[in-house]
Amino acid sequence: MSDVAIAVKNLSKSFKIAHQRDGLPGYRTLRDDLIGLPQRMLARWKRNGQLTSETFWALKDVSFEVKKGEVVGIIGRNGTGKSTLLKILSRITEPTSGGADIYGRVGALLEVGTGFHPELTGRENIFMNGAILGMKRVEIRRKFTEIVAFAGIDKFLDTPVKRYSTGMYVRLAFAVAAHLDPEILLVDEVLAVGDTEFQQKCLGKMRDVSAAGRTVIFISHSMEVVSRLCPRAIWLHEGQLISDGPSDAVIAKYSDAGDRSAIQT
Amino acid sequence: MRFVGSPLRQLFFQFRAHGLPVEMQIALPFKSSKPLALRERYLKIAPLSTESPIVTTVAELSATPIRTQARQQKPTFRIRPTTGWAALNVRELWKYRDLLWILVERDTKLLYKQTALGVAWVVMQPLIAAIIFTVVFGRVARLPSDGAPYLLFVFCGLTVWTYFSQALQHAGNSLVRNAQLVSKVYFPKLLLPLAQTLRGVVDFTVTLVVLLVLMAIYRVPPTFRLAVLPVFLFFMTLTATGVALWFSALSVKYRDCTHALQYFIQVWMYASPVVYPISMIPEQWRPLFALNPAVGFIEGFRWAVLGHSVLNPNLLCITIVMSLVALFSGAFFFRRAERGFADII
Repeated sequence: MSDVAIAVKNLSKSFKIAHQRDGLPGYRTLRDDLIGLPQRMLARWKRNGQLTSETFWALKDVSFEVKKGEVVGIIGRNGTGKSTLLKILSRITEPTSGGADIYGRVGALLEVGTGFHPELTGRENIFMNGAILGMKRVEIRRKFTEIVAFAGIDKFLDTPVKRYSTGMYVRLAFAVAAHLDPEILLVDEVLAVGDTEFQQKCLGKMRDVSAAGRTVIFISHSMEVVSRLCPRAIWLHEGQLISDGPSDAVIAKYSDAGDRSAIQT
Repeated sequence: MRFVGSPLRQLFFQFRAHGLPVEMQIALPFKSSKPLALRERYLKIAPLSTESPIVTTVAELSATPIRTQARQQKPTFRIRPTTGWAALNVRELWKYRDLLWILVERDTKLLYKQTALGVAWVVMQPLIAAIIFTVVFGRVARLPSDGAPYLLFVFCGLTVWTYFSQALQHAGNSLVRNAQLVSKVYFPKLLLPLAQTLRGVVDFTVTLVVLLVLMAIYRVPPTFRLAVLPVFLFFMTLTATGVALWFSALSVKYRDCTHALQYFIQVWMYASPVVYPISMIPEQWRPLFALNPAVGFIEGFRWAVLGHSVLNPNLLCITIVMSLVALFSGAFFFRRAERGFADII
């Protein structure tokens, strides 16, 4: 069907966890690696190729499909692979196995203010952030007045961003991302910061985006927002897709499960 | 380049059997070539513990879309695990050229905003180094300078050298410095070191102006040979980019590479004829010496400015080949390492 926006099948992602050993730092240094090379090679030979680093599976066999124009909310406790899923879908990191097919241009808003540099002015940061998110310079120039109007920082365009209040900062960052105009929008908990007015503005913008027929995948911890904005929800727990369906039903199951101390998968 | 046709395909399978990289695809930004789909190979999933609910399979993913009914419409992109060498993807770099330009602008502005002296600093750095070298190597050690005034002689070398050291230092840790960007946004990461080497060209132009001023002071007439300088600059950029890509990719995994880079730059300076002329090197060692691409550039500058040097077409060829080797090896290594950046940065 040509109405599919995202098709995910058996997506899995693992990380190798290095444990701190014997007072050595957790990060790797060339010096340590070179010196430890003979020891490691000997160990590898002895154990017949088995390495003892621990593997942590952030996503396990996740499969779902999102049609064009759908707004899907992803809920789950912290650390259950929601951000990892979005990172894979926006090609920042690669899956370990499985795959996904994307039909359309993707705009990812995983963090507010990516690319902002405190020393540059608001105007320069708009261009910087816009270019980072994938907009061409002419596109940014065309939408410049709208972006500034959405953020409401007319007077402060030429002051360095380090002087902005948090609210202004977050409004500007979201304003740039909101005017991205992608066919698929991936949003990751960016409403956690900002006051109510800002959250209203963001929700309104996302509702406009979805009304225009764009696909939105939205991670949130706020159940009211998910139930208001997303007709469909996906519940991820410990990297696995537990539930996928109308958001009211999924939220109900999630809230039920939250009351119990242990979740049976 | 497209690897089609059976004789080349045979060659492929030979390579594959010997464990060498299976395919290197370079997508060029020509309208006629279609992007080749990456061919996935057998995936080896890391052995899992028995508690894991995942079924351990060794499966081959073909390049067909996941949904068979969607065959009419091709996905904009397919996300699959990749291993081994990756294509250079020049088309994507071209698509993001606006971002490259904006990164260059941003870093230029930042550099000038943050130093109190601004442009004066760019002028003074090589000049002060040249004066020190003139005193130490020219007067005290009395190194020969091919008949030219020592200050001018060493400044030619320093024009090239300042570009390399500045570009490498900034590009070497560009990925680590922009860790936030690397882990949160998708863009071709190759742009980050590339932006630094291109930004160095701006500083280089300023240093070049100083060189011209020095030429005027020493009454060395400018000749048509100066027109060759942009060509040298182009190859200098290629070399610097190649080495920068190596170091920036290594710095992501090994944080102590930034220290190694500083040491490397120092050693490299003394291995290049910045303070001494190449005529001091015995004839039979010169081709080996010319494996250092900086040799060709510095001698080229001296030829363009002073008019005489031992530069010959052989050495030039070696230099050009070495700069292309640096660039392509750096680019392929970087692209191969790029897939893991977001995870380990």
